[in-house]
Amino acid sequence: MKNWIKILCAALLIYTAVFSLWHPMAPGGLSVSATEFHPGRNEFEFVGYGTHFKEAEASLKVYVSVDSSAVYCADILQVVDNHRAIVSVFLPDTISSKRFGFAANNDIDGTIIVDSPVGQEGFSFVPGIKNAECRYAVNHEEFSGFAFPYQPIIIESIRNLMWHVPMWFTMFVLMTISFVFSIRALGKEEGRVDLDHDTRASSAAAVGLVFCVLGLITGSLWARFTWGDWWTNDPQLNGAMVVFLVYVAYFILRSSSPDEEKRARLSAIFNIFAFVLMVVLLMVMPRFTEGLHPGKSGNPAFSKYDLDSSLRSVFYPACAGFILLGYWIYRLNYRIQKLEQHNENQY
Amino acid sequence: MQSTGYENGAVYKLGCIFDRMNTLLALLRKELLLEWRQKHALAGVILYVLATVFVCYLGFQRLESAKTWGVLLWVTGVFTAFNAMQKTFASESAGTQLFLYTLAHPRFIILAKAIYNAVFIALLNLVSVLFFLLFFGTEVLQSVDWLQFLLGLLLGSTGLGLALTFVAGIAFKSEGGVGLVAILGFPVIMPLLITIVRHTTSALEGASATQNGLNLMVLLVLNVVSFVLSYVLFPYLWRE
Repeated sequence: MKNWIKILCAALLIYTAVFSLWHPMAPGGLSVSATEFHPGRNEFEFVGYGTHFKEAEASLKVYVSVDSSAVYCADILQVVDNHRAIVSVFLPDTISSKRFGFAANNDIDGTIIVDSPVGQEGFSFVPGIKNAECRYAVNHEEFSGFAFPYQPIIIESIRNLMWHVPMWFTMFVLMTISFVFSIRALGKEEGRVDLDHDTRASSAAAVGLVFCVLGLITGSLWARFTWGDWWTNDPQLNGAMVVFLVYVAYFILRSSSPDEEKRARLSAIFNIFAFVLMVVLLMVMPRFTEGLHPGKSGNPAFSKYDLDSSLRSVFYPACAGFILLGYWIYRLNYRIQKLEQHNENQY
Repeated sequence: MQSTGYENGAVYKLGCIFDRMNTLLALLRKELLLEWRQKHALAGVILYVLATVFVCYLGFQRLESAKTWGVLLWVTGVFTAFNAMQKTFASESAGTQLFLYTLAHPRFIILAKAIYNAVFIALLNLVSVLFFLLFFGTEVLQSVDWLQFLLGLLLGSTGLGLALTFVAGIAFKSEGGVGLVAILGFPVIMPLLITIVRHTTSALEGASATQNGLNLMVLLVLNVVSFVLSYVLFPYLWRE
């Protein structure tokens, strides 16, 4: 089996493409139509995402919690479709807080929550509080299907996790290959450089740079969707941009020096510098600064993501697939470079 | 220079720490002498600082915040550093460099150049601070932590000096011209620059000492990393 790497890589990538895009989303609470609540009857529309209100109309219940101390049951006036239900809730005039939480429950979706759409943030529905008017009782607490978890704001774009993050992992692997070959190119013997190792280093760095660009593009799309801008002031983003510039500078340096031996030595030296810089920029500095990326300020990168089993089942194969792809293209690129050198030397 | 006595390789190999210090001091003296002989270049750099600050003054008249003060200071600082760095290798002919190569280990050469440039840039930045104080005054700087500010200025300048000396060496060897120093240098100093701008603005705004201390730690680490990398890699660059 000479081509097992290629077959494995293609299989993993097809798996990633299919499952990252076709896997269903778990239901979640999207929004509530009202922005103001007052004592007495309040009518509003509860909007869910990927929910089954119509199908599970019989078991649908909607709760409104106020300041986490009281829970009120809402009367369901009309279930419009699977995602929307018009409800009405009676609030007594003793309510002083503006912190509302909203939750819906049915047999299919379990409990879904809209986090504090009115008033201050940082409030979520606390189940299990027994109230005289409303008894909180659910049959299915959790959504029973196998699906990507619903995250507020991120919603469907969580699928980008399988594309954006592996790009950076692949870039890291390729730049590490490049770094190792640069060291070996220098360390051959006194005063000599190993041209073959230098070719390997530059081929790996070239492919790594492509993955860096892909990571920036997928990240930019994601940033537009979740943070509202194509580019935001986040240490990881700025660091990635500088890493991109450093490796572009590496190739400019390579092209500026006509002599093979000298080019190999200089670019190997600069590459070692560039790799250390990349580690500092992408792995050390973001830990010291606040940013928008998950898991900053000292945490490892994924702790906040609740990388649950459904995400893992696609994310890990995606990483492996893209790293293999990067390695594969690097090998191809290296052989092209070698052939070009061979051709040049013949004339 | 004549009395260092390192023409003999065996003497060099036996050289004790004291001798190494002598080599370093001799090389530093050489740098200083070169600078002194090219007084017009020194005057040119200072004029450059003055002109930059003056252009800032003409544009801004008065600064709105301590943040602008700090950012402008480092924009000036970075370009000054690049300017001062142009001649560090180019001012010596190929013959001189070959001569130096026979006299001292390349590590001493990079060490001497880096130390000299670090001190030189620190002094230039102090001059630029003086110009800033002259033109913009201290009206936006109500709660400055001067000690933190000066420590940051020092560490930032030495970091720029260390990193840029090495990059200038690469650019010089590649014969890529003056532009290459900027192309290679800007990304390399970016982490340092991000940290130093953050540190300076927070010191000028009088932020807490712990936050500033953390930034100073990062600066120190970046200094050490640049130093170690240039120290280890320069001999590979130098030999041909």
